Amino acid sequence: MSAISVRNLSKTYPVPFRRLRAFFRRPVKDPVEALREVSFEVETGEIFGLIGRNGAGKTTLTKIVATLVQPTTGSVAVRGHDSVTDDENVRREIGLATAEERSFYWRLTSEQNLLFFARLHGLSDRVAKQRIQELFTQLELDEVARRRFGELSTGNKQRLAVARAMLASPPVLLLDEPTRSLDPLAAARMREMIRLLAQQDPPVTIFLTSHNLSEVETLCGRVAVISRGRIRAIDTPKNLRDLSSGSETVNITIAGGEKISFTRQQGDTRLDEKIRELQTQGATIVDIETERATLLDVLERYEAADEHG
Amino acid sequence: MNSITLLPRRIFAFVARDFRLFVSYRMQFFLRIISILAVVTTLFFISKIFAGFTDPQFSQWRDPLATWLTGLAVLNYFMTGFSSLANSIRQEQMQGTLESVLLTPINLPTVIVASSAWDFLETTFFSFLYLFFGRVFFGVHYKGSFLLALVFLLLTTVVLACLGILSASFAMVFKRGDPFGIFLGAGSALFSGVFFPTQLLKTYAGPKLGNISLVLPTTHGLDGIRQVLIEGHGFDQVTQPLIVLLGFLVVLLPFSLWVFGRAVRRAKREGSLIQY
Repeated sequence: MSAISVRNLSKTYPVPFRRLRAFFRRPVKDPVEALREVSFEVETGEIFGLIGRNGAGKTTLTKIVATLVQPTTGSVAVRGHDSVTDDENVRREIGLATAEERSFYWRLTSEQNLLFFARLHGLSDRVAKQRIQELFTQLELDEVARRRFGELSTGNKQRLAVARAMLASPPVLLLDEPTRSLDPLAAARMREMIRLLAQQDPPVTIFLTSHNLSEVETLCGRVAVISRGRIRAIDTPKNLRDLSSGSETVNITIAGGEKISFTRQQGDTRLDEKIRELQTQGATIVDIETERATLLDVLERYEAADEHG
Repeated sequence: MNSITLLPRRIFAFVARDFRLFVSYRMQFFLRIISILAVVTTLFFISKIFAGFTDPQFSQWRDPLATWLTGLAVLNYFMTGFSSLANSIRQEQMQGTLESVLLTPINLPTVIVASSAWDFLETTFFSFLYLFFGRVFFGVHYKGSFLLALVFLLLTTVVLACLGILSASFAMVFKRGDPFGIFLGAGSALFSGVFFPTQLLKTYAGPKLGNISLVLPTTHGLDGIRQVLIEGHGFDQVTQPLIVLLGFLVVLLPFSLWVFGRAVRRAKREGSLIQY
């Protein structure tokens, strides 16, 4: 059984009171198609990335998985529970961390906020307080436990959102830009924690959306590229890069500062031939750099394809 | 554990949260106590204008201060029953916390009950203050069964909570401009007999306008409570308002829950849960 199963999912946001507006001859906007025929599976313990531009449909897809938005057609199941007909059980299986600061009570402390949500999850006070303490330690939030949420730095607010998502130790975590406001060190620790969560026993399945493509590349086993509501590709980051462009640019610096650049297909023998040629000429190689296609190139490629129809 | 066994824990979660938020605004609490005392004192002096006035037609109004105080205390409670849910949903929407609450494995009836719990506790305290100040400072006496009055209070509050659920559904879909609130808020004070006998409406405004009071649950709730506390009536004498209130409940409870479920589904379809 997949951790998350998305089948033929489409979402069109209806225009509220469209007929009524039309009846009174008021301007009526067209419905917004946010997702079209999206299908994929996320396996247990997998770190699955979703990348795409703003408005591509990432948030809508995440909210549908989290039962906050209902699909127009198609279905989403989390560990076998349907997101529409069995939404309460889906919410038992997931934790969602978004970068939305307004989702906390600003006049309550970090601890009071988490205690409230832990109680809603059904944790007893003893278990909740123990779990909150664990999470504060794990996410380095001990110092701000008794500070009001409104007084926290953006990075700490972000970490508290992740702590809240992990409160009930859900088997599936939906993380929306979990490192967006963190300093480099904290971001690295967060990435390490995400990696460990996926490796622990039982493993936590991670559904990650991010604009930080190097983070997605480092963390995710598979990545889906979404553009204008459609999934354009799903594969490992390496295969996606290779699909985008199998070539790489090689920059060789030789003693004296001269630079030689050439393009080769990955896996061909041109680099070996070039090195031998330079050595035959008596040149001393001081540096070799390669520039490969990145996930950004992949995104740009699909975006350009969509723009040209 | 299932939803029913978790219900007390979840209600406690909301009450504890709202208590924390409440104590973060201490000044407001003390100002409200002072304002209630000021209202009770003002009504005491107004009631002195009517000293000695008795009309057998208005048996509940022989001591106007007692009648006003029960009216205000009870109306306060009824209005909480009515407005609490819509207000809490709207407040959560405006704060942006509604999605976070609905992300937990909590069902709709629990959200309805739990998010209003603190408001009821707070209102119980402030409503009690009206009666307490009247009794302690101005010698107002209440007779009859407090238990029976409590039955009326709870029944009417639940009926109004059903209307509150309809109001919350409206707030969920339209975000503002709730017509139930305008109708009940202004209507109850004018037509339910809080400040004057409802019979006067018929006399001065005609039977059509006067009959509006009959379709308001607050009229029947207030009448029942005053019959018990002021006239000292027992159960046998108050069956009529009791049956009317039960009738309201049987119709409104399933209807309001159905409408609220549809409103949430609609907001989820439109993706507008967080909007305000």
